[in-house]
Amino acid sequence: MSAGRVWRCWLALMVLLALTTGLAFVPLGSANLFVSLGIAVAKALLVLIVFMELKGSSSLIRAAAAAGFFWLAIMIALTSADYTHRTDVRVPLDKID
Amino acid sequence: MAEAATPPLGIQYASSPQEREAVTLGMWTFLATEVLFFGALVAAYFNYRIWFGGEFIAAARLTKVAFGTVNTGVLLTSSACMAMAVSTYEAGSRRRPVLWLAATALLGLAFIAIKATEYWLEYQEQLVPALNFDLAKHGGVAEIFFMFYFCATGLHALHLMIGIAMVAWLATWIGIGRIDRGGSTTRLIGLYWHFVDVVWIFLFPLIYLAGRNG
Repeated sequence: MSAGRVWRCWLALMVLLALTTGLAFVPLGSANLFVSLGIAVAKALLVLIVFMELKGSSSLIRAAAAAGFFWLAIMIALTSADYTHRTDVRVPLDKID
Repeated sequence: MAEAATPPLGIQYASSPQEREAVTLGMWTFLATEVLFFGALVAAYFNYRIWFGGEFIAAARLTKVAFGTVNTGVLLTSSACMAMAVSTYEAGSRRRPVLWLAATALLGLAFIAIKATEYWLEYQEQLVPALNFDLAKHGGVAEIFFMFYFCATGLHALHLMIGIAMVAWLATWIGIGRIDRGGSTTRLIGLYWHFVDVVWIFLFPLIYLAGRNG
C-alpha cells in the first residue's frame, strides 16, 4: 500500500465526515437516517477495502470478513421483525405504574 | 539477502504465505465475533428508535456533536497513521513504523481525552444513568438513550484502550528489534485498530447525528 493511496483514502474519509455532519442539519425528514447510514457504509467500506487491505486479499479472507456483517444483518432483521410487532412492554422507567 | 529477515515458520505451516493467510483468517474470525458483539447494541438502538420514535431521537440531541465530529476525525486520522505504519513496516523500514505507531497511539489517547471530557460534561448535566440521571428533567426515554450511549461508547473506548496498549507495545518491540521483520504482528494489530474505527464510523451517526434535522 503506497503512502499516496493511504492519504487519498484519508482525504476521502474526511470529505465524507464533513458531508455527513453537514447533511445531518439539513431537514430531510426520515431520509436523514438513510443518508447518514449510507455515508457510514461508504466510510466503512473505504476502511475495510483500503486500510484493512480486503482489496488484494484472497476470497477466503473476504468471505470471512463478510460473514460477520451477514450474520449481523440476520440478527438485526429478525430482532426488529419481533420487536416491531409487539404491542406490550414499551414503557420507560418513569412511566411504570 | 531477504532470507535472513524472514521470521521462523510456525511448525504447522508449509510455507510463509500459508502462515500469513491463516493468521489473517484467524484475526478476521475474531473480528466477526466483534461485529456481532457491537451489532447487538446497534440492534437494540434500532428497536428503541422504532419503539420510542421522536422522544428517543430528541434525546440524541443532548449529545455533543462538535466533540463527536472532531473525535471521528481524530480516529480516522489514527487509522491512516496505522496504515502508514503497516506499509512502512512491510517495506522493511524499522524507524518509520515506530514513528507512525507512536502517532497512532497518541491520536488514540487524544480520542480518549476528548471522550473523557464529554463524559465529564454529561456528568455535570446529570445525564449519567445509575449515577446522577435527572429523570424529572430529561425523562425516561432519554435515560434509555443515555444507557445505550454509555454502554456503546464505553465498550468502544475500552476496545480503543486495549488497541493503544497493543500499539505502544508493538512500537517498543519494533524499536528494540524484538519483532522479526516480515512477521504478521503489525498487520494483525492494524486490522484490530481499523476495526475499532469501523465500529465508531457506525456509532457516530446513530449517536451524534440523529435528531439534528429539526
